[in-house]
Amino acid sequence: MDKTRMFTFAGRVLKNLFHKPATVQYPFQPANYPERMRGHVVIRIEDCISCGLCMRACPSGAIAVDRQAGTWKIARFDCVQCGSCVLACPKKCLHMEKGYTAPDIQKKTETFTKPAAQAAPAAGGGKPAADADKCVYCTLCAKKCPQQAITVDRAAKIWKLDAEKCVGCGICAGACPKKAIEMK
Amino acid sequence: MSTRSIVPFGPQHPVLPEPVHLDLVLEDEMVVDAVPSIGYIHRGLEKLVDKRDFKQYVYIAERVCGICSCGHGLGYCQAVEQVMGIEVPDRARYLRTIWMEMSRVHSHLLWLGLLADAMGFESLFMESWRLREKILDLFDETTGGRIIHSVNQVGGVQKDMDQGMLDDILRVTRDLEKDMKPVIDTFLQDYTVQSRLKGVGVLSKEDAIGLGAVGPMLRASGVSYDARLLGYAAYGELSVEPVLSTEGDSYGRCAVRLQEILQSFALIREAIGKIPAGPVSAPVKGNPDGEYFFRIEQPRGEAIYYVKCNGTKNLERFRLRTPTTSNIPPMVQLLKGSQLADVPLLILTIDPCVSCTER
Repeated sequence: MDKTRMFTFAGRVLKNLFHKPATVQYPFQPANYPERMRGHVVIRIEDCISCGLCMRACPSGAIAVDRQAGTWKIARFDCVQCGSCVLACPKKCLHMEKGYTAPDIQKKTETFTKPAAQAAPAAGGGKPAADADKCVYCTLCAKKCPQQAITVDRAAKIWKLDAEKCVGCGICAGACPKKAIEMK
Repeated sequence: MSTRSIVPFGPQHPVLPEPVHLDLVLEDEMVVDAVPSIGYIHRGLEKLVDKRDFKQYVYIAERVCGICSCGHGLGYCQAVEQVMGIEVPDRARYLRTIWMEMSRVHSHLLWLGLLADAMGFESLFMESWRLREKILDLFDETTGGRIIHSVNQVGGVQKDMDQGMLDDILRVTRDLEKDMKPVIDTFLQDYTVQSRLKGVGVLSKEDAIGLGAVGPMLRASGVSYDARLLGYAAYGELSVEPVLSTEGDSYGRCAVRLQEILQSFALIREAIGKIPAGPVSAPVKGNPDGEYFFRIEQPRGEAIYYVKCNGTKNLERFRLRTPTTSNIPPMVQLLKGSQLADVPLLILTIDPCVSCTER
């Protein structure tokens, strides 16, 4: 305690007198969000294949996918904006946008429905099965599978599906150059 | 002999950001004993490893605490990576280090603000938090979240930083270093601050070791120990030197944290200078099998992550020992023999995080 310092904050006080405040009058003055900000999840529903991977990846269980009805639902108040679903989506139709959703007085669930023309899901709702006559064991399906459910052994000519891991997204069928995979 | 009385302190108290309860046994104005009790904010997050798969659990581990979220995600991911034998890419290790040091700066600035507030020094409190806001803006820009960053994942990090972001970090840390100077001067030299901190709550070196103090609390008592020296993430390639103080009082703990902020700026600059190019995450195949015990240095002190995996997608057990858990016995020791008026300040000097402690 060698010396008593006087007017330590005098400079700051003077600055504060002539500068604008450090805070902004949110929400009257909109906030500036950076590009990466995880505000809320948005979906391009027309690209969605109802694979349900986002529903499985969501740690808070906020997403519900109904393959038959072609709907994608999100409980906005359960969502914790972690971005797990965005990483899991094989079609990249989910992404995080900046800006928060509006406050509300009750917990609401938002529902997105696929356009009528696509109502019958492309994946057909079944599991893939490879036609051994057409298959050339190129392993493209195994590489594309988001769940790593397919194993292909080119030497032994084996195409195997782990039915437990498979979510029936149909990406393998789309990737197959020989159209050997059918969703049954 | 004067009569003893018991004053309940907390769980709701203006100085406490989080609920912890203490029964203070008083003789006149002097505290002769303190009995802590916790359990007001237990959420059962460790148990959730049964319900969520090991990749999803990163998001839950981060949400154990709002201030050390980056470290909890990192500690959990590194423990699982060790079990699975995943080699994390170099760039990811450096990015983790940069984010970790930024979170140390924001945690310490938060604490400095709370300390100033506990002393009734309002302008210093606001100044500290104004500076902290710049770090939070950087987090928002680089990770997408101010508090919960969600960048760590098993195998690396989710997002890369481009050169523009790294330059922004350099620019903001340079500005902050300049802005920090009057704040540091005030904390270390101001008459009012010194009269509240000097000689208050002295923890001897022997007590600090014996009672298991961690982090700045331990280093303020003159023990040279910092878990960053273990070399996890990129710390092995950076020059980490534990910041020490020999006083062992509240002033020493404040000085250690102030110095650590400056050290973090230096580490961030060093890491940005050395960061290699390359991928930021390694592929993860299969499920973990085995167990691992991992230690990291959180802003508040050493935290321990234990994972036990059984080859399925769910872990069998996850255990997290947070710095505050080990700092509670030294805190009780500090309180014995102190004045009632100093109790809020002494509780604050351990930088308690009760949410972390109870998980």
